[in-house]
Parts: sequence; structure tokens; C-alpha cells
Amino acid sequence: MGMTYIPSTLSEALHLRAETGARPLAGGTDMMVQSKRGIGLAPEFPYPVMIISGLEELRGITKHEDGSVEIGALASPAEIAASDIVPWHVRMAAAGMGAVALRNSATIGGNIGNASPKGDLPQPLILLDADVILVSLRGETKMKLDDFILGSKKTALKDDEIIRSVIIPPHEFTYSFYRKIGMRRANAISKLSLSAAAVVRDGEILDFRAASGASGPKVIRSYSAEAIIRGRRVEDIPEVLDGFLEAWNAAISPHAMPQYRRNTTRRMLSHFLSSIHDGAEAGIIS
Amino acid sequence: MVSRIEFSVNGRKTVFSGNPLTRLIDVLREDLSLTGVKEGCGEGECGACSVIKDGRLVTSCIIPVGAVNGSEILTIEGIRDTDKGRCLVDAFAEGGAVQCGFCIPGMVMAAYALLSSNPNPSEEDIRRGISGNICRCTGYDLIVESIKLAVRKGGDLWA
Ligand SMILES: Cc1cc2nc3c(=O)[nH]c(=O)nc-3n(C[C@H](O)[C@H](O)[C@H](O)COP(=O)(O)OP(=O)(O)OC[C@H]3O[C@@H](n4cnc5c(N)ncnc54)[C@H](O)[C@@H]3O)c2cc1C
Ligand code: FES
Ligand code: FES
Repeated sequence: MGMTYIPSTLSEALHLRAETGARPLAGGTDMMVQSKRGIGLAPEFPYPVMIISGLEELRGITKHEDGSVEIGALASPAEIAASDIVPWHVRMAAAGMGAVALRNSATIGGNIGNASPKGDLPQPLILLDADVILVSLRGETKMKLDDFILGSKKTALKDDEIIRSVIIPPHEFTYSFYRKIGMRRANAISKLSLSAAAVVRDGEILDFRAASGASGPKVIRSYSAEAIIRGRRVEDIPEVLDGFLEAWNAAISPHAMPQYRRNTTRRMLSHFLSSIHDGAEAGIIS
Repeated sequence: MVSRIEFSVNGRKTVFSGNPLTRLIDVLREDLSLTGVKEGCGEGECGACSVIKDGRLVTSCIIPVGAVNGSEILTIEGIRDTDKGRCLVDAFAEGGAVQCGFCIPGMVMAAYALLSSNPNPSEEDIRRGISGNICRCTGYDLIVESIKLAVRKGGDLWA
């Protein structure tokens, strides 16, 4: 069993991380459950652990001058869902996590660090091209979240690094869509989730994106499938829709999803694009 | 570096210097004899162990005590003799919300957290507010009705 530390500052935490390799425990909602031993017993980990929940440097949600929004690693789903500067897709995903108590304890850094394919926050963050900021005694690195998450429970986090924050670049969508299936029951883990967004000006689709969660080892974003829609005119949607849906279906890893979930994804994407074609009012497509 | 974990429980200062990964629920129940905090699942899913940490509802079975350094913790024992707590407990009794009672401390904490931030909740708000608390007995309707009763009877108390 490893030692447990409680650093008071980020600098202390970075030294500990470099010297002992201690793993950060933020909200503990994944780690405490994964290593639980039962009533009256503290969880045990085969490596040293540091409890980072008290580090002020990892808190807060800020909007920068360039319009990007930075969310500290310790921000909880409750704080994220209640923030009016956080982009809509991310607020929706945060609001749909767990139940009240879970949303107060979990953190965005832990959701990313855990890298479960069923984690709800990476999906909208990857849709929005978010970067993750990693810190170590060596300095600071910025990396696309899509590159940071390597696969199921695998990230590019180095042994001396800590996730400091997530930065979401500015964007202004004409149409937005978000759905998590499995939301009915509280504390339900995602069976399937989908985000989509489009920018339409004078009938031209300037930007189009989609991201599927819980559909494979990691969030699926298919830039080649998106390119089938991007740059087209709204009236051409019926013409390219089937080709796009096929490309999307092919991007979803072959064994990850049963047929009915593929069909649901297909229906949601088709609904989003058809609504745009039919001249839906700008805003959220529900 | 923190070596002594200091926090308050129901307004009383507490110092803990054991294993920081000890679950908060074990410190509350074993060390402080606050047995109103119940353990159901031990995995954050049933809400029986709900307490309020710095004004927010949390499940004490998945929080290590090392994460509450500097925090204020409220348990059912700490609220039941306050005006708000009494209002809720009376409403639960009057509304027939209690059968075996196991889930009730957690339910009352969830209702307390809800009404303290939203004094005038809709039925939907109430159902969402207690959606992380599992009750095997009542089917929830009487609990929801009792919370509505607490809203009506409490009035200004929650504002
Ligand atoms: C009842 C219940 C319901 C849940 N429902 C949902 C749900 O609906 N949706 C969902 O997505 N998840 C859900 N979860 C899973 C979990 O709550 C989330 O993944 C949460 O975001 C994890 O955050 P944490 O801070 O608690 O993680 P922790 O357990 O503290 O850490 C998780 C991992 O991330 C690493 N880590 C944490 N912070 C950092 C950091 N700053 N830098 C580097 N690494 C770090 C840790 O080392 C660890 O490997 C649920 C869990 C429970 C118990
Ligand atoms: S015992 Fe803590 S949530 Fe069930
Ligand atoms: S009254 Fe028995 S579990 Fe709720």
C-alpha cells in the first residue's frame, strides 16, 4: 500500500508527483469506488496517492479576452452546469451526470483523467475542440483533448503531470444538439450520447460537427464524415445525408455498439440535419 | 502539506490524524457516533449516507476524510434540532413518508439542501432533488408530498 499525501499548494503537489509518482485523487468518485473494501475500511491503492481537492490553483471557471473559456480541473459538474459562461453542450452534459450529490463531488479533471468511454464530459469537449492544460515541474503543455484521451481508461498523462484545466475555444453555432440516453434514472451511466452543432450563413453550412459518446473506446469525432456536410448548401442536405450517415456509422467502432444504438445515433443525426434543411429556427434542436 | 485534518461537524471542531483515505462515513459513524448517517451501497448510488459539506449535498461513503480539511459538515444530527430541520422531520412524520426509515436521514438531508437553495421547488424540482436517494419502501410519492408540506408549513423559513 502506498503513502497518502495532502498537498496544500500546486507547487507542493508537482514536487510530490515528480518525486513519488503519487496519483491525484480529486473528487474520488471513481477512485474510492474502484478501490472500495467495505464498511469501516479505507480503500487501498497499490501506489501512492495525493488528495488534491484543496488546491485553489485548480479551481474556477474564467472567460478569457479572446472568448475562450477555461475550466479548472477541480470544477464540479454542479458548478459547470450552473455557469453562464460555459458553452451549452458542456453544461448539458454536466447537468445530466449522476444525481445532486455526485454532481457536487465529481470533477472535470477526474472525468477526463479516468477516461472512461462512458464519461460524459469528454464528448461535448471534443466536439468543441477543447484543449487540456497539463502542468509539471518541467512547465506547462497544451494538448487537444481528443489527442490526450488515447482509448478506454488510457490517457497521455505523464507520471509527473497534473491536469490543470480545460480550455474551450470560442464558437458561435447556429444550431446545437445534445442528447444522453440513459438519463431517465438518476446516477445512470451513459448508454449512448451525441452532440452536434452547425454554423449556417446565407444558406451555406460553414461548420458542421458531431461527437458520439459511449460508442467505442473513446469519443468519436469523424472529421472525414463531417467534411461531407461542411461547405454544402442547406438545400443539398437530402442529397448528401445518406452518404454522411454511412460514413458516421463506419466511424463507430465495429463491435462497440449493438444495432439499436447505431440506429438511434443515425436517427438523431438525421433529425438534426433534416431540421436544418427544413428551416428550423436558429438555436437548440430538440 | 496537511498532516492533521481539521474540519467541523455540526458546528464542533474535529481533528483527524489517521489515514486520510478513511471514508468520511466511517469517521462520522465510528469516531463521532453519528449513526444517523446510514450506509446502503457504499458506492455513491443510494444516498443513505448523504451529508452536507460546505452547503452542498454529498455522499459520505465515497469521500475520503482527507478531502474535507477546512470544511463544515452537517449531518442529520446537526439539523434536526434547528427550525428548518424540525420543520422537515415533522412534515415527514405528518405526511406519512416514513416506513422502515433507513433512507430517511439521507432524504431529509437532500430535502434540506434542496429547500435551502430553492425555497419554492416545483414537483419536478423535488423529484430531481431526491433522485439520488433510493427508498425501497414508499414509492416516493409520500416523500414528495411531505417535502411539499414542509415548503407550505415552513414558509419564510426557507426564503
Ligand atoms: C453514483 C455515481 C454516478 C456516476 N455517474 C456518472 C455520470 O452520469 N457520468 C459520468 O461521466 N460519470 C459518472 N460517474 C463517474 C465519476 O463520478 C466521474 O468520472 C467523475 O467526473 C470523476 O471525477 P473525480 O474527481 O471524482 O475522480 P477521481 O476518482 O478523483 O479520479 C479519477 C481519475 O482521474 C485522475 N485525476 C483526477 N484529477 C486529476 C487531475 N487534476 N490531474 C490528473 N489526473 C487526475 C485520478 O488520478 C484518477 O485516475 C459516476 C460515479 C458514481 C459513483
Ligand atoms: S451508502 Fe453512500 S450512497 Fe449508498
Ligand atoms: S422508508 Fe424504507 S427505505 Fe425508505
